[in-house]
Amino acid sequence: MDEVEEREKVEPKIFDKIGYDDIPGVVMTDTSAVSDFLKKTKVQNVLNWGRKNSLWFMVNAMGCCGVELLATGMAHYDTDRFGIIPRNSPRHADVLIISGYVTKKYLPALKRIWDQMPAPKWVICFGDCAISGGPFYESYSTHQNIDEVFPVDVFVPGCPPRCEALIQAFVELQKKIEAKKDKGTDY
Amino acid sequence: MDARSIIASLTDRFPEDIYDADVESDIRTVAKVKPENVVDVCRYLKDELSFGHLCCEFGIDYPDRNEIEVVYTIGSYEHPVVLNMKAVLPRDDPQIRSVVPVYWNANWYERETYELFGVEYIDHPNLKQLVLPEDMLGEWPLRKDYKGYPNKTAKNLV
Repeated sequence: MDEVEEREKVEPKIFDKIGYDDIPGVVMTDTSAVSDFLKKTKVQNVLNWGRKNSLWFMVNAMGCCGVELLATGMAHYDTDRFGIIPRNSPRHADVLIISGYVTKKYLPALKRIWDQMPAPKWVICFGDCAISGGPFYESYSTHQNIDEVFPVDVFVPGCPPRCEALIQAFVELQKKIEAKKDKGTDY
Repeated sequence: MDARSIIASLTDRFPEDIYDADVESDIRTVAKVKPENVVDVCRYLKDELSFGHLCCEFGIDYPDRNEIEVVYTIGSYEHPVVLNMKAVLPRDDPQIRSVVPVYWNANWYERETYELFGVEYIDHPNLKQLVLPEDMLGEWPLRKDYKGYPNKTAKNLV
């Protein structure tokens, strides 16, 4: 018992003496130095190639555009060939699709979904309502200019846009990721 | 019973509480009611005149007259008559007794009228906001002088 207590007292002192954070010539994996270093090399191209081909999106149907969102994930359009798979949990998803008007009451829940998604993550504004409020742009309960809240990469206009438009949006997002112009990753 | 006899029965039973009663057509009747006795009138309508269906309850804002009207649209399964009953309230302090003891489905109608117009229902079992977020309570967005509408020029207006 006494030995354990003594060791607990001693160990921090040893780490202080060695200098746990700054061993010369050694990069610790618990810092962001490794990923910061990789972002400047060609390895990032390979990472982005992998990311752009597995854009799993969050099934979060918020309005009538959500029906198109659901239809896109079904077998008819076969988005699996682009690596686009609908997921029902925000923990699995890479892309959040805002598919409808955002009311003041719903915005905290949407932010919570966004916070639960692991990085890197991207946002697509799908439909007129998500872009500007649509027919509800002057309502007392809608939140305008949603792109000030989320880092939106692609806007898809339409009321509602077709499923092909959503697939086009994913292709545009893939192009942005490949060109390192997306907002989801910190370059 | 037709519309004329229903209005006659109502005004005979409550001569002081019912005023401006009128028959608009064979199926449409209107009446105004004093806010103090709205529960008694509703109970009489439901028990004696078989007006068992409260279709709707909502509010109207009249800022120039400084009044808020609460409108009860009550229908019947026995006779094909709909009664539009209005209660006139002062705009600065709109208070009226809740009709939930008579018509149970008035519960959510009154909560919605409360959150949108600020009409305070006395003896309501659960008077709080229905669909609006809680921090919007007190803005009363459906009143005519509501200023909280967003800027008309949304940045991304398509």
